[in-house]
Amino acid sequence: MKSRKPELLATAPSFLWLALFVFVPVAIIFAIAFRPALPAGGIGEGWSLEAIRSLKDPIYPSLLLRTVTISFVTTALCLALALPVAWHLAKLPPKWRSRILILIIIPFWTNFVIRVFSWQQILHAEGAIANGLRSIGLLGDSDRLLGNSAAVIIVSVYTYLPFAILPIFAAAEKFDFALLDAARDLGAKPFRAFRSVFLPGIRQGLVTAILIVFIPMLGSYVIPDMVGGTDSQMLGNKIAQRNFNDRNLPQAAALSCALTLLVLAPMLLRRKEKAG
Amino acid sequence: MKPSRIPLVTTCIVLAFFYLPIAALVAKSFNSSRFSPEWKGFTLKWYSRLFERDDILAALVNSLKVAVIAASASMLLGTCAAFALHRYKSRLQDAHRVMVNVPLVLPDILMGMSLLLLFIAAGVSLSLATVTIAHVTFCLSYVTLVVLARLQDFDPNIVEAARDLGATRFQAFRKITLPILFPGVLAGGLLAFTLSIDDYVVTFFVKGPGSDTLPTLVYSMIKKSKELPVINALSTLMLLFTFLLVFASQRLTRPVNR
Amino acid sequence: MPGHLRFENVTRRFGSFTAVDRVSLEIEKGEVFSLLGPSGCGKTTLLRMAAGFDVPDEGRIFLDGVDITRLPPDQRPVNTVFQSYALFPHLTIRENIAFGPKLSKRSPAEIRSEVERMLELVDLTAHADKKPTQLSGGQKQRVAIARALVNKPKVLLLDEPLAALDLKLRQRLLVELDAIHDEVGITFIYVTHDQGEAMSISDRIAVMNKGVVEQTGKPAEIYEAPRTSFVAAFIGDTNFLDGKITSRIDGRFSKCAIEGIGEITIDNDKPTNPGDLVHLSLRPEKIIVSRGKPELRENENSVPGVIEDIIYFGSHTRLWVRCGGWRLCAETQHRTYQLDDTPLKWGDTIHLRWHANDGYLLEQYREEDESLLTLPDEE
Repeated sequence: MKSRKPELLATAPSFLWLALFVFVPVAIIFAIAFRPALPAGGIGEGWSLEAIRSLKDPIYPSLLLRTVTISFVTTALCLALALPVAWHLAKLPPKWRSRILILIIIPFWTNFVIRVFSWQQILHAEGAIANGLRSIGLLGDSDRLLGNSAAVIIVSVYTYLPFAILPIFAAAEKFDFALLDAARDLGAKPFRAFRSVFLPGIRQGLVTAILIVFIPMLGSYVIPDMVGGTDSQMLGNKIAQRNFNDRNLPQAAALSCALTLLVLAPMLLRRKEKAG
Repeated sequence: MKPSRIPLVTTCIVLAFFYLPIAALVAKSFNSSRFSPEWKGFTLKWYSRLFERDDILAALVNSLKVAVIAASASMLLGTCAAFALHRYKSRLQDAHRVMVNVPLVLPDILMGMSLLLLFIAAGVSLSLATVTIAHVTFCLSYVTLVVLARLQDFDPNIVEAARDLGATRFQAFRKITLPILFPGVLAGGLLAFTLSIDDYVVTFFVKGPGSDTLPTLVYSMIKKSKELPVINALSTLMLLFTFLLVFASQRLTRPVNR
Repeated sequence: MPGHLRFENVTRRFGSFTAVDRVSLEIEKGEVFSLLGPSGCGKTTLLRMAAGFDVPDEGRIFLDGVDITRLPPDQRPVNTVFQSYALFPHLTIRENIAFGPKLSKRSPAEIRSEVERMLELVDLTAHADKKPTQLSGGQKQRVAIARALVNKPKVLLLDEPLAALDLKLRQRLLVELDAIHDEVGITFIYVTHDQGEAMSISDRIAVMNKGVVEQTGKPAEIYEAPRTSFVAAFIGDTNFLDGKITSRIDGRFSKCAIEGIGEITIDNDKPTNPGDLVHLSLRPEKIIVSRGKPELRENENSVPGVIEDIIYFGSHTRLWVRCGGWRLCAETQHRTYQLDDTPLKWGDTIHLRWHANDGYLLEQYREEDESLLTLPDEE
């Protein structure tokens, strides 16, 4: 019987660290959601369903809906832009391919917060873009580009687009483009070929792209906080608000549970689909 | 049959879209106007103001401290994990793999929130130490991925060849495995370093008072709307620095087996 | 006298699968000994146990009388040339070759001269400071050989060393390997699935199938006197005939009745009695083809048949001929050929002639081995 000691020794450090600092904390979230809150902030003794019941508050359904909608729209826009870009990259000669890839990645070497801040300046009511759009009549005098869901979506697409491009590109690189010629040969029009042959062919990349954009978007906090307004708050903002402003930890925990379940849903769907 | 123009046009638009804020940032850092977006003349005053700000320099030092420690620790833990995942196939490793993948898909806010609650429940006061622990937690998985990819390129026969030629297990590890794997481990460490320097949300949740890192300081500066162009100057410098860092990392991950 | 390298009842199992089943072999010092067989036959597993990368579940391995069964690879005076070469990518060619000597703590001067000698032996002195990725497949192979030989092992193990190379290169390197063996003189154990390689380079061959050694012997013995249907079918091509012994002619020959063909003369490769069921292996090149009925000499056989398939190869032609219920394959060499000769064609009736000596009685026959033949008998 071979000794399992070497395997246990190698696995233990990371396994224990992750258990302690990822899984235990998530379990704690679920526990704290069932505790009462102290008026001065802090967690009380005993158990209480107060925090859970607070989820029935009418502001939450619309908050949830908005969070899912904004995430969905962002994901859809990212896919719509990533597909042509990935297609183009896959067809370029290798030399150009790596150059454009690097060009795509460079902007994302700046700090995330600073990038969002830069958008804040650009979309500012007095800014060049706003003035430009006003001069061609696309924007009303008192309309703002900032402080609403549109701004959140624009900046989110900006942030997540590279994450959508990369996996789709990776799949497109492996795709045999001769299949499209075969489809055309058999009578399919270009769009039909794209839809029925290309998209299924890069399926794995599409799925990865969707997961890599949608799931983090659900927990979005910085972007709605910096460029969104009060009516474009997302679940992440509410959690931060309950935690830092209202100092109600159990409620923040309860909301976090809701977010966790929301995040698990697409992953479980994917598991089921993989097994079935 | 003429190929569609859509892909090319979209790529150009997307690239312009990507560089717009960056260009604006760099341009504004040299703009002597404080508030107005119009160009009021070239100046380096924001850069000199930057170096006068003690709080920014302190936050930078904090960020570097945390990043170095977090990168080193996650290099160690991540390399161990990659070895285990690569070498052994068992139910334990299946569970291990799931655990390593979780931080990659967990939203920042959940990680921040859950770690905060952990520290509160354990009665640990928040400080740079708690920030470091949090950073190691999310960096670990990335290092594991990078090293695992490198391991998969690694021809196991060469370790057998070393043994065949007279090396003991330890000698084979030291002379063959380590030198070949080390650039990959280092690349993972650099990735961890950049992730740590860049992090805002998780840090925000678990930092104590007075232990600002650069991103958290910048964020509060933005919220208070004080001396915003200084931030532009700071970001231009950070862009330069990250540029150099990633360039070094690329050099190191150039594959040895072609 | 115990052989130089000896396997004694070596068995290796992986779960319920037996990779090597009670294999016993004795390999002489200085010979080129091949383990030949299809993939999965156990030859590589056997080699790995000789190298020390695997340990037998049962049985023992001896080198010069010393039991090395459980010795780790770094302590055996045995070196391996890997199929994938396994060169160290971060070291130069010279450093690769010097790896073993450096570990054995020889003096730097000695190491340097040994390494140079090896580089000359494999003709790579000009490339000594390059890294493996800069070399071609054939060059990498030579480095692998040099790296192993520089340690002066008692036995050199070669695991399908030519498998990754293309045909012309393979042929050239095979000749070089042979030359290296002549010069160096140590025992080679050569694992391959390519019968051509094994036959051309080996002093002796062990033919393996499903973990068992079916026959060991010199190449000519294996070819002309196959013990089993597997050996007969795996190496070259053959015809299988079965029949019943009807009578004995004398000590050397007997008569055998084959259904559909009649009585033929066979030679008594193994002791038989009238009434015994026997299986015969007859190689295509042994059959002489003629249009008219041939004049038979003593102990020769002749059978008429109709041509079903012909393939012309330039230097020779292969025919598949229907004789009685049998489909026999014959091969004719075109030692002379006139362009206005009438070639044989499909449907022609011809006669097949062979001498009783040219057939061989198999000790063991398995019907499944027929699937190894080119264009086997149709079911």
